[in-house]
Amino acid sequence: MVALLLYLPFLWTTYISFTDYNGLGTPVWSGLTNYKAMFSDPDLVGALTNTLLWVIGMVTLPVALGLLIAVLTYGHRWGTWLRLPFLLPYAISGVAVGVIWGFVLQPDGALGQALGFFGLPGAHTGWLQDGPTNTLMMVVATTWQAGGVNALLFVIGLQSIPAEPLEAARLDGAEGWKLFLHQLWPQLRPITTVVVGLSIVGSLKTFDVVWVMTQGGPGTSSETLALSMYKETFVLNDYGQGAAIALFLSLVTFAASVLYLRYQLADSTSR
Amino acid sequence: MSAIRGSSGPVRTAALVVLGLIWLAPVYLLIVNAAKPVDQYDAAAVWKPTGAFSLFGNFADAWDKAALGSTLVATTLYSVVAPVLAVLIGAAAGYAIVALRLKHGFAWFVFIFGGTIFPLQMVLMPLFTGYADSGLYDTRTGMIIVYTAISVPFSAFVMRNFFTGIARSVFEAAVVDGGSLFRIFRSIYLPMAGSALAAIFILQATFVWNDLLLGLTLSQSDSVRPIMPALTGLQSTYGGAALPTVLAGGLLVSLPTVVLFLAAQRFFSRGLALGQL
Repeated sequence: MVALLLYLPFLWTTYISFTDYNGLGTPVWSGLTNYKAMFSDPDLVGALTNTLLWVIGMVTLPVALGLLIAVLTYGHRWGTWLRLPFLLPYAISGVAVGVIWGFVLQPDGALGQALGFFGLPGAHTGWLQDGPTNTLMMVVATTWQAGGVNALLFVIGLQSIPAEPLEAARLDGAEGWKLFLHQLWPQLRPITTVVVGLSIVGSLKTFDVVWVMTQGGPGTSSETLALSMYKETFVLNDYGQGAAIALFLSLVTFAASVLYLRYQLADSTSR
Repeated sequence: MSAIRGSSGPVRTAALVVLGLIWLAPVYLLIVNAAKPVDQYDAAAVWKPTGAFSLFGNFADAWDKAALGSTLVATTLYSVVAPVLAVLIGAAAGYAIVALRLKHGFAWFVFIFGGTIFPLQMVLMPLFTGYADSGLYDTRTGMIIVYTAISVPFSAFVMRNFFTGIARSVFEAAVVDGGSLFRIFRSIYLPMAGSALAAIFILQATFVWNDLLLGLTLSQSDSVRPIMPALTGLQSTYGGAALPTVLAGGLLVSLPTVVLFLAAQRFFSRGLALGQL
């Protein structure tokens, strides 16, 4: 059943990506036309750039935040409770996150009013009106959702670090930032690889939040490839173009996952 | 552990409390504004609660207007049936690979797992045309099938990891005692895997409940369409006019997963550790 539902469609999509097909009639072979369009059509190049922005944003913001929260709460007397506010958004769907943040980021909405209250600049910014600001703000919204679970993963990483070398380093006078940089950070590398790998894979698939908050707009200014694929296929009926985007997205995701999977398997065989 | 298990000092605590409050601010805004009567909602004063409390009235509005009520039944069905099926199939696959030392077990595993890393977009279009041709489009059966198929790989992945941890001698002893393969699976392996099964179930149920893309693509009628696409419909229809209603809808659809999450935090973290996710 897995094969039927996942692999046959896979081959079909690959075939369609080399054709001109509107969902009805027969696909007409068109070679690499759809792939060329992806790198020349300004809308699709925009989507490509936005997707890259998402990847960069998602491997920095939620990862850094997750690490910060993990280090701050780990071993804290009320660590579990203090971590809870960050974990809570993880239980909320991408759609609900989009609804909440679409509301927060309205022109002169909650964020604008808060900035105005504290006398900070930017109170009247249209957060979702122009690219790339709208993409960056949606990365922030997703960070709000995903930061906590990264923190949880980093805590699991911290728990697996043996205590003795740290004690030794500490006796040698290593403290605070130095202790973190030279002792903790290197030992967190495996879990960091996992967190970053997941962030990359997740960010390439970004759809829900964007669909709810801007539908890729205004215009196509905040489209991601995952969203372009949906639009091209089901809104514009350009199945071939949609398929080409899907295949490209899959190949990039696959390349990114190989790194992640290698660590994953190395880890499970060593146990 | 005292080296990292360091201070619970005031600076650390203060930093966490401030950050935590910032994190809760959107939740506060959601609840406060979802509780405002639509005619008293003032876009220029979203931080201030109004005295009036009409959260349940707004719930009822969202329920009727977005037809969240009928979609709720369908979504609940999907989020229970599909994960249950996926957990059982996944467990059987994991058992087959590990205990039976299935030929090319690793290749099978890669084959199954390969299905999980690719973006849904890759199968969306053929699924749509296939469903349209076979009459599965816009049916509850169709939705259950697709959610189950999507959930099986992850389930098989975690269960394989879990069963690998069970000593081989357990299996061999059971075979010597004359247990059939199915009986060994049902009365020895499955009961041992209780917490792993529960963890997978919770994760997958959350996934199904929160799905947007598949629901958007494979359904259209109110009685089949899952809840997340229905909510986006509510947003685009009533976005400007009745924001409290939309927010109430957002809150309503989030409640089940949040409650599940809080009740099963233990399972979540353990499940994550198991899957090495």
